[in-house]
Amino acid sequence: MNQDQLLVLYRKMVELRCLDEMLLELKMKGLIMDGFHPYQGQEAVALGIGTAIRPEDVVISNHRPQGHAFSKGTTSRQIMAEFLGRRGGPSQGIGGPMQFIDVDNSFFCGSIVGSGITFATGVAMALKRAGKDRIAVTYFGDGASNTGSFHEGLNLASIWKLPVLFILENNQYGEAMPVREFVSVYPISKRAESYSMPGITVDGMDVITVAEAAQTAVGKVRRGEGPYLLEAVTYRFKGHYGGDPEHTYRTREEVEQWRQKDPLPRLKALLIDSGVEVGAMAAMENEVSEALQNDQAWALEQPFLTVEEATDHVMIPLNSHIPKERRS
Amino acid sequence: MTPARTITYRNAIREATREEMRRDSSVYLIGEDVGRWGNLFGASTGLLEEFGWEQVKDSPISEAAMMGCAVGSAVMGMRPIVEVMYIDFITIAMDQIVNHAVKYHQLSNGQVKVPVTIRTQGGIGMRNSSQHSQSLENWFVNVPGIIVAMPSTPYDAKGLLKSAIRNDNPVILIEHKSLYFTRGEVPQEEYLVPFGVADVKREGKDVTIIATSYMVLQALAAAQKLAAESISAEVIDPRTLWPLDSQTLVDSVRKTRHCVVVTEAPAEGGWSGEASAVIHEHCFGDLVKPVKRVCGMRTGVPYPTHLEKAVVPDADWIVASVKDVLA
Repeated sequence: MNQDQLLVLYRKMVELRCLDEMLLELKMKGLIMDGFHPYQGQEAVALGIGTAIRPEDVVISNHRPQGHAFSKGTTSRQIMAEFLGRRGGPSQGIGGPMQFIDVDNSFFCGSIVGSGITFATGVAMALKRAGKDRIAVTYFGDGASNTGSFHEGLNLASIWKLPVLFILENNQYGEAMPVREFVSVYPISKRAESYSMPGITVDGMDVITVAEAAQTAVGKVRRGEGPYLLEAVTYRFKGHYGGDPEHTYRTREEVEQWRQKDPLPRLKALLIDSGVEVGAMAAMENEVSEALQNDQAWALEQPFLTVEEATDHVMIPLNSHIPKERRS
Repeated sequence: MTPARTITYRNAIREATREEMRRDSSVYLIGEDVGRWGNLFGASTGLLEEFGWEQVKDSPISEAAMMGCAVGSAVMGMRPIVEVMYIDFITIAMDQIVNHAVKYHQLSNGQVKVPVTIRTQGGIGMRNSSQHSQSLENWFVNVPGIIVAMPSTPYDAKGLLKSAIRNDNPVILIEHKSLYFTRGEVPQEEYLVPFGVADVKREGKDVTIIATSYMVLQALAAAQKLAAESISAEVIDPRTLWPLDSQTLVDSVRKTRHCVVVTEAPAEGGWSGEASAVIHEHCFGDLVKPVKRVCGMRTGVPYPTHLEKAVVPDADWIVASVKDVLA
C-alpha cells in the first residue's frame, strides 16, 4: 500500500477508535442501554479486511459489530443512532448494538455466538448461484470456533465449495474464558485442515499484515476456489462488555503488554517514518474527533420509534400472496 | 372443472413441491436424503431427476448448517424448502429458526424478508420411540413471527404447502408420519389453502370437536361412532395453529354449546389450552359445560406398537370425552 492509502487507513482507524470510546461513554451514561461490546484493540482486523472486500460483498457479523460495519461502509453517525436505539440507525434502533443490520450496506448480524457461520453459507450459496463473483465474509470469535455451527458450517462450505471467507478474530477470551484453556488446538486455524480448506493465522494487531492476508484470501474465494479460514490474533483492550469484572480473568499487566502492540501507534509510527508530518496527523485526528462530536449531538436528538412502529414488522401481512378473490 | 383425483398425502406434498419449483426457480429443496432417496416416505421422489442438484440439495446430517444455509439464502432472495426429517431433529436447528428466521424481518425494520418453508413430520406411527415420535408444534406457536400449519388431508397438505412456499414469512408445515399414505380428493386445477382459515371436516349440532393433524382422522372416526348413538358431532380442523381462525371455532361452539379439543401433543402449556381459552373467552355464556381437552399423555412415547398407541388419543377416548361433556 502507498502512503496515501495508508493515510486513509489510519484516518479510519482513528475514527473507529474514537467512535468506540464515545460509544463506551454513552454506555456508561446509560444512553446506550445495553448489549455494547467494545472493539478497541481489534481495529486492525476489521479495517485490514475492509481493504480487500467490495461494497457488493456481503458481511455477516456478530455481537461486536461496530468495527465490521464501519469497515464495510456504515457511517459513524448511523452506528451511533442505531446503538442509541433511535431513528437514523440502519434499522431505526430496533436491533441496537448486537443485532446490527444494515441492508443497504449488505451487512447482516446476529448476537448468538456462532450462528452467523451457518447463515453465511446460505448467503454464499445464493451469491454463487447468482454468479457475479460476490463473496460472503463472516466475522466471529475464538469462542464461536467451539460451537457446532462452526464445524457444521465449515463442513458445508467446504463440500459445496462456497465463496465464503471465515474471519476468526481470536481476541484471547470468549467472554471471560481464556482461549488457551477453552480451545483444544493452537493456532485455531488448524481446524481448517479438517475441512480441507486453507487456514492461516496472522498478527491481528498489524493492519498491513491483515490487509495483505485478506487480499490473498479474498482473491482465492472470489476466484471460486472455495472457502478460506483466516485467524487474526488480536486483543480487546476493554472488557467483554463495558464495565465487566475484568480482574476475574486477566491482569492489568497482561492488558498493558498487549497495549504495547496497539495497531494505531504502530501505523502512525510507520507514517511518520515515511515522512508524514506530525502536525498534519494531529490536525487530522482533531478533525475526526470534531466530526464525531457533531454526529453524537445529532444522534442524541433523534427520536425513538413508537411502540406501534417498533412492532409493525413482526410479520408480513398474511395471505398477501393469495389473490383477494381467492381468499376464503 | 375436471373431476378431482384421489391421491395420497405424500403425493400431494410432492405435487406441491414440484409445481412451485417449476413456477419459480428460486425455490429449492434442502434436507437429509431429499435427493437420492427422495425423502423417507417418497415425498420428493423424482425431483432430483427433474430439477438437478441446484434445486434439490441433499444436506449432510447437520441440521444447524442446513437451517442456517436456508435462512441465509432466503435473506438473499431464494425460497428454500427445508426438510427436517423428523421434528425431533429440529432441536438442533432451533437457533436458526427462533433467533434468525423469525427475527430478521422485524430486526431490519421490515427491510429483509425471510421466505423459508420448513417441512417436517411428527407424531406416532412408526414404532420409533420417544426421540422420533414427538409432537412439538407448541414450541412454534409460542414464537411470534412464524406460521404454524398442520395439514390433515392431502387437499390441505398440497394447498398449505403451496401457500407456504409463496409466502414471504417463515412457515413451518408439520406433517404426520401416519398420514403419508392416507388418500383424499385433490383437484386437477391449481389451488391454494389460505392460512388462518379453519375447515369444518364434518358438520354437526350437538358438540364441536376441534382436532389437529392425525387427530382429525380420530375425531372423524369418533363422530362416526357417536352418530350411531344419535349424537351429532361437528369436527373442525384449524389447519393453521397460528394464525388461528377463532371465528370458525367460536361460531361452531355457539351453535353446539359443547366443545372438546383434541391434540396428540400433551395438554400442559400447549395450543390445546390456547384453543380452549379462546372458546371460554368468547363462548362462556353459551357453554353448557367447560371445554374438555383430550391430549397425548405427558410422557415420552414408548416403543412397542400397542404402547405407542396407548399414550395418544384415539376415537374411543374422544367418544368418552364427548359423552362426558354432554352428560
